Amino acid sequence: MTEVKEKKVEDIKKEAELLKCPVQRSLYYVREFLNGPMCGRCFPCEMGTYEARIRLENLVNGNGSVSDIDALRRIMNYMLTASMCMKGKNTARFVLEWLGSEDFNAHTKGECPQMECKGLIRYRIIPELCIMCGECKKVCKFNALLGEERKPFQSGFLPFEIRQRRCTRCGECIKVCPTKAIIIESKAATVTSAKT
Amino acid sequence: MTNNVNITINGKTFQVPEGMNLIEAAELCGIHIPNLCYIKGMRGIGACRLCLVEIEGQKGPVIACTTKVKEGMVVRTETEEIREIRKFVIDLIVSMHPLDCMTCTKAGVCRLQDYAYEFEIKESSFTRKRFGFSPDEGNPFIKRDPDYCILCGRCVRICKAQGTNVLDFMGRGVGAKVTTAADKPLQESGCTFCGSCIDVCPVNAILEADRWRKGREWDYERITSTCLLCGGACDIVVSTMNGRIMKINASAPEASQERYICAYGRFGYDAIESHGRLSRPMIRINGELREVSWEEALSHTAKLLKKAGRDTSFITTGSILNEDALMLKNFVTLVVKTKNIDSTVSLYGDRDSLISQVADIDEADLIITAGLNPSQWTRALASIDAIIRKKVNGGAKLIVISSDDIPLSGIAHVKLTGNEVEFLKALTKALIDKGLSKDKNLTKLTEDAGVTEAVLKAAELIEASKSPLILSSPVLYGAGANLSLIKGKAVSVSPEANAKGVILMGLVPSGLSIKEMAKGGTGLLYVVGDLPINIRPQVETLIYQGTYMTDLARSADVVLPVASYLETEGTIVDYLGRLKRVTKAIDTEIPSHRDIFKDLAKLMKVSLKPPKETEIKKLIKLPSKAKPSAFEKKEGFDLDIRRFIEQINAPVINNSRLLWLKESGVMV
Repeated sequence: MTEVKEKKVEDIKKEAELLKCPVQRSLYYVREFLNGPMCGRCFPCEMGTYEARIRLENLVNGNGSVSDIDALRRIMNYMLTASMCMKGKNTARFVLEWLGSEDFNAHTKGECPQMECKGLIRYRIIPELCIMCGECKKVCKFNALLGEERKPFQSGFLPFEIRQRRCTRCGECIKVCPTKAIIIESKAATVTSAKT
Repeated sequence: MTNNVNITINGKTFQVPEGMNLIEAAELCGIHIPNLCYIKGMRGIGACRLCLVEIEGQKGPVIACTTKVKEGMVVRTETEEIREIRKFVIDLIVSMHPLDCMTCTKAGVCRLQDYAYEFEIKESSFTRKRFGFSPDEGNPFIKRDPDYCILCGRCVRICKAQGTNVLDFMGRGVGAKVTTAADKPLQESGCTFCGSCIDVCPVNAILEADRWRKGREWDYERITSTCLLCGGACDIVVSTMNGRIMKINASAPEASQERYICAYGRFGYDAIESHGRLSRPMIRINGELREVSWEEALSHTAKLLKKAGRDTSFITTGSILNEDALMLKNFVTLVVKTKNIDSTVSLYGDRDSLISQVADIDEADLIITAGLNPSQWTRALASIDAIIRKKVNGGAKLIVISSDDIPLSGIAHVKLTGNEVEFLKALTKALIDKGLSKDKNLTKLTEDAGVTEAVLKAAELIEASKSPLILSSPVLYGAGANLSLIKGKAVSVSPEANAKGVILMGLVPSGLSIKEMAKGGTGLLYVVGDLPINIRPQVETLIYQGTYMTDLARSADVVLPVASYLETEGTIVDYLGRLKRVTKAIDTEIPSHRDIFKDLAKLMKVSLKPPKETEIKKLIKLPSKAKPSAFEKKEGFDLDIRRFIEQINAPVINNSRLLWLKESGVMV
């Protein structure tokens, strides 16, 4: 079994900051921290980050509430003073920094302003922009695209749309759409006009 | 002589020994600093963070378990912030702990419960975590229930310090589990079932296997006493309820390395209520043992003694109490007036080789063992093995002098394996060469000794130490004690609990020896105690006065039951020369040895009174220093100490749950 070198706490922070949503950043950080540098010796850090992961997962899935944010803040504040080593204290510092963002509150209402939390967003095809080339359907591994390529001799057509139950928001279809007809929007958003 | 320093805790000034751990110092001053992962006497690890305190001059709170007191230290143990942090930690722990206080057997003595009460945590404000670990209940001694574990690590550390290394953390973080290697049951992991983990666990994660539904902790009466099953003579606390023994725990102070009892002492009490225990006197009538009344049994015994006159011998063990020993001596010399008396002590030592000075093992910083092979695994003086290993773990040095490599040699800083006498001689010479002694006598005795490199290393250790302690087997005591004439102290360690007391009370061999008596030298043989003799000696009359129905008892002509060590009061002299008290834990109608001798004496028209404590104390005269002795190993005392300890405890083992050790093949 090869020895995986433990990631440094600062490196995990850098990796986390590649993400845009602060909740996603915190969750990524806490998960990586629990996998690696968390030594499990002192109770505030060991049990605190475990609990923090549960709360962050709630927020990311749209099941979060204000009490989750309060709990996170409480845990991180105590970790800052009571942790045994700098790893725990730095973790608390980083997460507290991200907790300062207003985006956290938005997640309690089911919205991810940065459009990154997969449980809170959906992909939608704007029919007016779609040229029915079928490229998206070709790359979708989950069979989430409905629709048929427009054939010139056909009068009617099956428009392209995304089956929300199958879509995992992996982002492959967005990459290949030539007209940028697939947009990411909040799950809670209601479609009021045809053009966004 | 440690200096005292002045410290201020919460506004009040106190005087405490310099360099003492802050948690222990605060406790001396009557202030409790909350802690869950700290074990007194061992280094603090700072895992639980409950002991955070504010020390003037230090930025932010620091943990008390790794702080030593210094002159002028100003400490605050209760501030708003600290209290909130403690509440936070207990809250987290409660979130992963079963909320079982209603039926939990630890209720009342549970540290988590106490702190939850203190910080008003009714239920956790964090998500409830359930792990569903299955308990390890495969043995009749210790039950492990990892669901209750709070991951404080005390059991892991105490097991490592003792050298048994059975428990460790598996995994990291909240889902971690304290378990054996490969998560096997205890009996397949080298566990000796000493139960030190039970004594140290703050919650209900490790407990006695039969603890369930045996009463709540607050129903128990606790009596401190001493275990008499081997030469360790460990301090015990016996919990009783409704006149029955519920459990036994170690009762030496938490900060002392002596806090230990082995499986025999902890779980052997079953034997007292077993079928194998003698409860009514019996006389052999028409070839069969029949139960009779006490009056009949005693008058019959008195008649037999009167008839036999001087043709009697008395034989006893080294585990009887001082009071019983002195009573027996008086009975033999004043009532029966025979000169044949001996005890099992003669199998391994005599006055010269057993009576040593008073010593303290906690304060020793260097231990030298000579000819001893203590082992927790074979339960031969298990406590001494555990104490030495714990001391070495805490920084003490160890020199092992033995004829062969023994398990203890593995952790010795210097091991001298071979001719023990020659090594002791060489060691003494090396110390003289270093200028530590100018004693002409010793110089002459060690003239011809050869100092090897290993011996020189050992001598350097002795020179550098402050308080060396020599633990010697009786046959090597004379030689080993010569070292104590130069530096430190030396004690002789007997395999039985009260060998020294028995000798000091005057039960020295006279007349026939124990070996001769065991073959059958007189018409009447009176056995006092559960002697490890299997075959009935060739005597006309055999009187057995003991606690258990052994093979010897079964072959006797008169059987007189006697109270066990948990049912009598008295004193013993342990291997360190201390007068230890044995207190009655439960009442019984069965008389003690001295009661029987008093009644017998009355029937034989002599008035014998059970000795008072002042009489006993007068007889306990221990030398303040050893005498210079020849460098030789005493002859005639060849005894397999390990087998001997097993034999004297055979009745307890065979009549209690300890028998499982033999039946399951765990016992070597």
